[in-house]
Amino acid sequence: MKYAIETKNLTKSYGDFLAVDKLDMKIKNKSIFGFLGPNGAGKTTSIKMLTCLIKPTSGTAKVSGYDIEKEPNQVRNKIGMVPQLVSLYKDLTARENISLCADYYGIDKNIKEERINELMELVDIKYAEDKLVKQMSGGQKQKVSVVASLVHSPDILFLDEPTIGLDPTTKTVLWDLIQELNDEGHTIILCSHDMYEVDKLCENIGIMNKGHLVAFNTPQILKDDLMKEKENNMKNQAQDNGNMNNNLTIELSVMVDNWLNDETIKEIENLSFTYNLRSSSDDEGRLTVDVDKFSHKDGINEVIVIILKGGGIISSISTTDPSLEDVFVSLTSNGMKK
Amino acid sequence: MILMELKKFFWMFKTDILSLWRHKSRLVSILTFPIIMIVLFGYGMGGSIEHIPTAIVSMDDGSLTNTTVEAINNISLYDVKNITNDVELGKQLVDKGDVKATIILPKNYGDLTDTQTKNVILYLDSSDQIASQALVPTTEQLFTGINTKISIEKLSALSSPIANSGASIVDTIKLDINKVYGNVKYIDFLVPAILAMTLMFSCMMGMGRSIAGERETGELARLFMTPTNVSTVIGGKIFSKLTIEVVRALILLTTAILLFGVVIKGSIILAIGMLILGALCFVGFGIMISASTSTQEDYTQMVMPFSLPMMFVSGVFYPVETMPWIFQKIAYICPLTYLNDAMRSIMIKGSGIGDIWIDIAVLLGFTILFFILGVVKFNRDV
Repeated sequence: MKYAIETKNLTKSYGDFLAVDKLDMKIKNKSIFGFLGPNGAGKTTSIKMLTCLIKPTSGTAKVSGYDIEKEPNQVRNKIGMVPQLVSLYKDLTARENISLCADYYGIDKNIKEERINELMELVDIKYAEDKLVKQMSGGQKQKVSVVASLVHSPDILFLDEPTIGLDPTTKTVLWDLIQELNDEGHTIILCSHDMYEVDKLCENIGIMNKGHLVAFNTPQILKDDLMKEKENNMKNQAQDNGNMNNNLTIELSVMVDNWLNDETIKEIENLSFTYNLRSSSDDEGRLTVDVDKFSHKDGINEVIVIILKGGGIISSISTTDPSLEDVFVSLTSNGMKK
Repeated sequence: MILMELKKFFWMFKTDILSLWRHKSRLVSILTFPIIMIVLFGYGMGGSIEHIPTAIVSMDDGSLTNTTVEAINNISLYDVKNITNDVELGKQLVDKGDVKATIILPKNYGDLTDTQTKNVILYLDSSDQIASQALVPTTEQLFTGINTKISIEKLSALSSPIANSGASIVDTIKLDINKVYGNVKYIDFLVPAILAMTLMFSCMMGMGRSIAGERETGELARLFMTPTNVSTVIGGKIFSKLTIEVVRALILLTTAILLFGVVIKGSIILAIGMLILGALCFVGFGIMISASTSTQEDYTQMVMPFSLPMMFVSGVFYPVETMPWIFQKIAYICPLTYLNDAMRSIMIKGSGIGDIWIDIAVLLGFTILFFILGVVKFNRDV
């Protein structure tokens, strides 16, 4: 089986409102897939259809090789879901909650306890197995939730905002866990608004907007695409303005201790880089230079050389690439304008 | 396969009971609520009205006057605050609000030989509707009794003289009054309906927490992600709810028996059976509503317009027959009406299945209808 999830024209409408419009998507088996989109884009509705909680209006989807409408129970056996809301019984202990789930999945009682112990050790929550869920911290609850969703060894694990509201350390622990689960062969579908998280973990991402899939690729390609697009926009804009000064995309900020002289600035202008100079005192300031990465591969070096030649002292330097967040905003705000 | 479903079914029960057990405050409130209900209704509404401040104006002191005053004093409905011979003062007491009523005995009251009609006046503060309602029939009864007694004595006086007429008059009067104000009767009338009503409220409200609430907080979502039938999950919920509700009904019944001496004339088993059927019916109603609501708040808002009116029209406090015709018609479509009727028949009249089969059939019909609608409409969505 090549694809963990395959959808074809998957559509869900509520009255006149098309929540998901003809979704075609193929998610590779054993990959980590990031599912993004602004609130109300149709992400949750798609996930609900794929997890057999609601029925599609039209179209089909196969999850782990089973049709979501014809074989919902087989699908349910192959998937696990860690919901955004910690949906555990608060007055039961961690172990009781997991055991309940195991029985709901119909796991053989001979292997049940062993499996639960194994998983609890994997996510490192065994020490709190007899604690009531309501007495647990957010991170502990999330770990129990993960165990409860994994108890039947699903092929595919859906995670809906798994790290929301967690502290940075716990987040890292969960990210490692997600990676580990993927290494073990689980396909991971990660819904998140945390772009850093998605960028770090996901091999592929899909971005939904207004019920449509507006992007589907690796994070790097999407970022590069955005950069090229930005460059083209600038070129067009520059042509409109009658000069080529603005075809720049990489941003370089340099802190210069000794203030630059006009000549240095002119040299930067000659390289057709745009700049932005802000001074906070007589001998301190910040220079932001936009450099076109594609036409000026050595752009950064050139700027540094010019500054040093002009007598400036660089105290710190940082470069900014377009982030996944930029990709997200660019794709979804375009959609909103439409 | 069946064993597995049973296990799931049992888990639902275990979860609910464990949650309740570990939530001591909720447990205490659930178990004391029926006691509070019955005490409240038993003492507050089931008891008779007593000790209404009253004044008497008596303008002579014949033996009949004395025994009448004594009789009034002995009836617990009246709390005689003042005995005067001034008619104006007596009226003023009512006007000022010191007493609810003044009983004015005419001048010729004590004179048994006088053949003229004796006009006793009940000067009544009719703004207090409840007190008036209690005072008028009792006072009427009192003087009718006295009147009858005097007539009999007058007749018998023709044949043989009577030594002490006063004492026997009072005896007769007392007997009459006890019949009218049998306290036990209203509580007997009330308890079966209070049982049914409490059951209705807690089943409907409880189902909201149980299903709409768990839908809202997501526990149900997790269960619906598993390859499990909706009806298994719901079945488990119903079973645990039913157990808790029957225990509560038994607590209520026991309290009523211990505190108010309520008797079940019919079969206790039949009464409990009816309570279980009633609980199923209201739980079914709850499931029907919670099938399509996603939050507990929504659920409560949707159940209220049904449960509150049902409480008033289905004859909990007054017999259905005494209500305006439109309410009577509405009462016929309320399941609670039938449960009330069945419970009253069993507990007061001692009816058997044969006498209440219509109630059973209607309740069963409602239950099946609610369940079918509930399960058909129920979606896994959260």
